[in-house]
Amino acid sequence: MSDTTDSSAPIATEAPPEAINASCRGPVLFLFFSAALWLVDAAGIGVLGSFKVHMPGFLADCPLFTYGRLQANAWVAFLFGFAGNAGLGITLWMLSRLRGMPLARPGFVVAGTILWNAGVTAAMVGISLGDQSGVAGLELPKYASRVLLIGQAFIAFSAILTYFSRRHKQLYPSTWYLIASLVAFPWIIGTAHWLLVEAPVRGAAQIPLGHWAATSLVQIWLGCIGLAAVIYFIPKIIQRELYSRQWTFLGFWMLLLLGGWVNLNSGAPLPVWQIKLSQLASGFFLLVVIAVSWNLRQTLKGVPLLSSEDLTLRFMGFALSAWIVAGLLTFCNVCPSWNAILQFTYANTAIRHLFAWGFFAMSMIGAVYYVAPRLIGPTLDWPCARIYHWIYRFIAVGVVIVVLAGVGMAYRHGLALQSTGIESEVLQSRALMPMRAAFLGEVLFLVGSLIFLGSMLCLLVRNCCGECSLMSLWRQCRSTKVEGGAK
Amino acid sequence: MNKAPLVFLGVLFTLSLSWWGMVYSPAIQLGGETPDKGDGTALKPRVGLARQGEQVYRENGCYYCHTRTATGGQFGYKLQITRLDLNGTITDSAIGGADKMLPVIKQAYRFKAVAKAADALKTELGKTEGKSDAAIKAAKEAKATAVKEVKSAELNLEKNLKALGISGVSLDKDLSLECGLPAEKNATQKKLVANAQVTITSGIKQWSDIEAKVKKLKAAKARFRLQPVASDWPDRQNLVAMRQSVSRDFLFDAHAMPGVMRIGPDLSNVGGRLIGADNDAYAHIYNPQSTGKSSHMPPYRYLFHRKKITEDEALPTTAITVTIKGDKRSVEPGYAVTPTAKARALLAFLKSLRTDSALPEAPIVEQAAATSAGTREK
Ligand code: HEC
Repeated sequence: MSDTTDSSAPIATEAPPEAINASCRGPVLFLFFSAALWLVDAAGIGVLGSFKVHMPGFLADCPLFTYGRLQANAWVAFLFGFAGNAGLGITLWMLSRLRGMPLARPGFVVAGTILWNAGVTAAMVGISLGDQSGVAGLELPKYASRVLLIGQAFIAFSAILTYFSRRHKQLYPSTWYLIASLVAFPWIIGTAHWLLVEAPVRGAAQIPLGHWAATSLVQIWLGCIGLAAVIYFIPKIIQRELYSRQWTFLGFWMLLLLGGWVNLNSGAPLPVWQIKLSQLASGFFLLVVIAVSWNLRQTLKGVPLLSSEDLTLRFMGFALSAWIVAGLLTFCNVCPSWNAILQFTYANTAIRHLFAWGFFAMSMIGAVYYVAPRLIGPTLDWPCARIYHWIYRFIAVGVVIVVLAGVGMAYRHGLALQSTGIESEVLQSRALMPMRAAFLGEVLFLVGSLIFLGSMLCLLVRNCCGECSLMSLWRQCRSTKVEGGAK
Repeated sequence: MNKAPLVFLGVLFTLSLSWWGMVYSPAIQLGGETPDKGDGTALKPRVGLARQGEQVYRENGCYYCHTRTATGGQFGYKLQITRLDLNGTITDSAIGGADKMLPVIKQAYRFKAVAKAADALKTELGKTEGKSDAAIKAAKEAKATAVKEVKSAELNLEKNLKALGISGVSLDKDLSLECGLPAEKNATQKKLVANAQVTITSGIKQWSDIEAKVKKLKAAKARFRLQPVASDWPDRQNLVAMRQSVSRDFLFDAHAMPGVMRIGPDLSNVGGRLIGADNDAYAHIYNPQSTGKSSHMPPYRYLFHRKKITEDEALPTTAITVTIKGDKRSVEPGYAVTPTAKARALLAFLKSLRTDSALPEAPIVEQAAATSAGTREK
């Protein structure tokens, strides 16, 4: 099927239809900018939280800053703040481009974004006040999930209208992923909200439910958006066709099928069949990894990604590699003895960072790098394009540190937990070792996200506020100075 | 795959498969769990303060650093006799021959002999016709020898009581005194008798090792039990918990929080471990480093009231103290620190976390190191 031309995906068309970009400009930039703000938030709170493990007495008199609340807030800011905004923004833009139609009802998007951000803010305030749900990975307070659901519905409404404004085109696989992400979010959050808040299931049943919701959000919701971007941008930029729809098909459905099952800890206090089933799913996850990576490998056929000239391609390449590594680590959970060692260590958090920052954030920031200037003007580039490279470098190095430290050192902690007669002080220091090293990585995330926010600001200020903005005045000053110096 | 509605339906269907497996079926299966412990007692719901404490635990995210999941491990068995057969015909071969018979079991047989002799004497004395002095005398002598035998064993009181428990006989006051047992048993002694058991295997055995013995014991109608013993079970051997955590440990939780990481120790049985005074637990939560120990647990000072006190003001009795090198002082010098309602609730919750009673699906497992079955035989 790979030879059928998908004309709705402008694979080979260089010139992007300006009308589409113009229709997306306001709403999508709004989403991107919010995403950048939340990313700094997430990284900052994450750094503060990790710092508190090393200096437990720091800011200890204020419940707001206690480790457990910071930890919850950092993830909510990332998952809903950054990932939600960026993901929805990219979804809308990609859907419009793939359908070749301008964004329908942008007003709904703006309203939805406002609601969405209000929901995230409410969640974070709520968590600071002690309203977290107690489900690791889905700490949303109940009122926040309601607001988020409504906000997403507004945005999804616009996405659906855009989609149906033109029917006869073949669907590019990215569209499948985007549709899935739009469906998965209300499905997951709705279930969690319904069964944890409205009609709560009994104690133990909340454990698999919470795990399912947290894992699905990451693997399916984020996974779908991120992969949609990866398989959209890579072929587009290298101007080739995606190698095979069949492989994509396999990867897509297997991801949806398995994404919610995987990674249950072998020691979870649950009936054995559930744990075994989850191990089985983790094993089959290898298929997803193979399907996606083989497909892209065949598409690329020798085109380098990580050393490419094109920054978007580098971002996508890193995202893809991170996704593959995370997928392989998921696959490792097929082996109970591996999981038994790592289950109570920092490793799971490190792998989540790998997925969140290495895969998702990288793919989104790469996509924003491509999309954002085009939204403003067809020939525009980033005002400070050089510095955008540093986002890539900082986050990439951060991810490598976190994963090496997180999984490698956590393995030692896990071994200590598995042996007998280890002193509690030794155990504590083994537990902290990976977090100490990973702290450095988290600081790099923070630096990277600050640059991202700065770049977004530059772009907006310079191009949306006209030539009389502070930014351009400063640039003018600087350029005259430089000229003066040269004389 | 070119029709969005088809993709949409497919997505819904595929998602619902994992939903079925991870949400629906567990909700049905685990939702149907009963609190019955299998021995006539039941797990008790968390009430009052402890129930509120769960919310404090959640609010502050204690579950990021503390798990509540003691994992399972390898275990073997110890074979324990809890009651001898009623007719007194055996157990030698099952245990390993008379010469190998354990002192306590031997003693139990002696107790049985005493009881039998005493019964015989009673029958002789109670006879209305055909009473013969010679027979009575013989019976008395028989009883005296039996009692002497018991005393000659020179076991300590604990072992004697155990032996009495296994023998299954009950001696009256006089006879108890004669045998060197207290006439009135106190509560611990009574417990010792009621829960008496003797281990007849050494070390940790696998089922295949003891199957033959078990059959012999069954044939002899002795009562016995198989006590699981941890053999390669880090969580048990490290005293993390008494048994594996299972889903029913979360039965009454409003929010099940099995925990993320073990930066701090697992808390599944912390209620069984917090044996010290409440004061010490509060002092730990107020400032985990208060005793000078290094700790990376954050202090939860905001869960406490603090009142400044002057140098010569005496510390209120309710104030939380630490004792360092015999010197008892307030956890926060210069202040009287008392727990808020939240701190009290939190402690009540921590105390309610226990896995020290058995469930049918998760028996209490003995810690291998504490089992001195091997040393006992030497
Ligand atoms: C940053 C991680 C962290 C957080 C958050 C945390 N703890 Fe701890 N906790 C530890 C560490 C590390 C230890 C072991 C050192 C010590 O005893 O202080 C510990 C020890 C304990 C102990 C002693 C356990 C034992 O078996 O001796 C209790 C009880 C405890 N914590 C309760 C709590 C409660 C309640 C909360 C939430 C209000 C909490 N912890 C939050 C890290 C944490």
